[in-house]
Amino acid sequence: MNGVVAALYAFFVEKLPYITIAVFFVGVAVRLRRWLSAPRDPEGPPFNILTALKYVILDLVLFRKTFKSDRWTWVVLVLFHVGVGGILFGHMRGFHLWTAEMFAPLGDWVAEFLVHTLPVYMGWMFLATQVVLLFRRGSLENRQLVSLPNDYVALVLLLVTSVLGQGMRVFPPEAVPPEVYSVVFIPGLIVLHLEKVPSHHWFFLHVLFTQLLVMYIPFSKLVHVVSGVVTSALYGSRRREYGV
Amino acid sequence: MGSEVDGSRAREALGRFTRRQVLELDTCAHCALCSESCPAYAESGDPNHAPGVRSSRAVRLFNKHFDLRARLFGPRRISEAEVSELADSAFHCTLCGRCMEVCPFGLQTHELWSRVREVVGELGGTPPTVGMLGGMLEESQNPYGLEPDMRLDWADYTDLDEVPEREEAEVAYFVGCTTAFKGVNHEVAFSVASILNRLGEDWTLLGEDEWCCGSPHLLSGDEEGARVFAEHNVAALESRGVRRVITGCAGCFRVFKWEYPRLLGRVPDFEVVHAVEYLREKLASGELDVEPAGERVSYHDPCELSRLGGVVDAPREALGYLAGDFVELPEHGVDVRCCGGGGLLQATDNEMRLAIARVRLEQALELGVEVLTSACPACKLAFVDGVRAFDMDIEVLDLMELAARQLGLL
Repeated sequence: MNGVVAALYAFFVEKLPYITIAVFFVGVAVRLRRWLSAPRDPEGPPFNILTALKYVILDLVLFRKTFKSDRWTWVVLVLFHVGVGGILFGHMRGFHLWTAEMFAPLGDWVAEFLVHTLPVYMGWMFLATQVVLLFRRGSLENRQLVSLPNDYVALVLLLVTSVLGQGMRVFPPEAVPPEVYSVVFIPGLIVLHLEKVPSHHWFFLHVLFTQLLVMYIPFSKLVHVVSGVVTSALYGSRRREYGV
Repeated sequence: MGSEVDGSRAREALGRFTRRQVLELDTCAHCALCSESCPAYAESGDPNHAPGVRSSRAVRLFNKHFDLRARLFGPRRISEAEVSELADSAFHCTLCGRCMEVCPFGLQTHELWSRVREVVGELGGTPPTVGMLGGMLEESQNPYGLEPDMRLDWADYTDLDEVPEREEAEVAYFVGCTTAFKGVNHEVAFSVASILNRLGEDWTLLGEDEWCCGSPHLLSGDEEGARVFAEHNVAALESRGVRRVITGCAGCFRVFKWEYPRLLGRVPDFEVVHAVEYLREKLASGELDVEPAGERVSYHDPCELSRLGGVVDAPREALGYLAGDFVELPEHGVDVRCCGGGGLLQATDNEMRLAIARVRLEQALELGVEVLTSACPACKLAFVDGVRAFDMDIEVLDLMELAARQLGLL
């Protein structure tokens, strides 16, 4: 690895995380300001937490409405979101939020499958569903939808990040150290613990694109992860008020 | 380069999107899951009429004044062509709210599209045929531009014996403009009035004091106009000591029940019920005794009564007494497919309205329906126009007309 690349890779790990966090929170502030500076709505139907939960679970977790209107898209959406959840959960192990030993009571084979085999398949599935969703968007473009640039930017960023992440599993690691290998992003706060030293290029580019994605989230359509919960809960309250 | 919209005017107009609506515009993933369910898009196949495209166009204009780039470097220009494009999208919509029903995020599109119409109106994009409504409403207090003293002509045409116009009454029958002024609906008014007379209700009409409910204002994006009309109607009803307002119009019902409290900032001092709810009540209590009709009957849910009004079971329960052979249409209840009669579509694209009505009529004919009922004068009008335009063999009746017929009143 030449000096420039090494310096760049060091920057991705040692400095960029601070910029990422700053941009992310500035983005959140900008987004909140955009919403809060709009005029208040007239008083709506009374908010009911149980109704809100019901609609969030049915419509956002189970995608009830998509199931009714388009079964194939429902299958892809469910697999895509399961992939998101699985991958986020998997990454938490690297940050010591859970350990492989937790699955030991299930037996060696199950633990091995859950910790090492399943994530590989989930990665492929996640990639495949992204390609399908990207293809779907492209095929409906100017027929049933008109995308904004950020619809594509978010999808492409996610896809590149995922390809790089999956590449780390596919390409052979640099080394298997005797002890856990730690990557310190922010000392004492964000430290990644790895069993293997991954292929450097794939790893550092994955780190870069992950951070670009995190920075982009508040400015992108991915805010629907949060705002969708609010709109779904408000829709539920309205339905409850109408008694339907 | 085409003409541009004045910047400060654009900022003021786009600034009308409320917090929830900006959140909704930002949440819309432009996934197009709503397209196939939209009756307007289904008929035209024009991407500009798809709800998700409307959302894209609206947020694109909004961003020109309110995104980070606009805040840092100043707003970007909006061309008249962009406004026309959005106007074409906004007014090729029946405001039936079906896109809300299929939207994974539950975006409340009925209100969002009304707001888009308001914004488009302020940017000078309202179609002339819709723009004329404002003048007619102001002059005649109805969207048809007819003299207010013609409001009770239906009673003359139908030979209704008792036409009460009282200073005080327990119940008021709010007829609604499309029932009062459209000949095809006069017997709907006659039916409601006859049933009230049969039951010996202490009831009244408002006569010339009845103004449009304000629905056309809201559909064209004029919330302030709707507020003025709401204030008038509520004052007219409250001054008569009315405790219960009955209307046979789904649009009037929705506006009275769900929009008036919002427009006025208070709940009016009377209960609002749709005529079919009243009918169900009287049939269930045994105060009305009917012979069920022998024909195969079906019921089309008016969007403003079911999905946007919350009345789904009452008409079916009433039909349990009125129809011996009732069949349910596909796409019913809160998931109803619009008849084409809503959203002022008649004023902007009558061909599309008729094409949408045709789909619904064909659904009924496929089930062997002989009498297609509904509970909205705009639905009846759309279906009657559709039957005439496409020479179809099906009788279209309001549910109240079917009830009056089975009671021997019509």
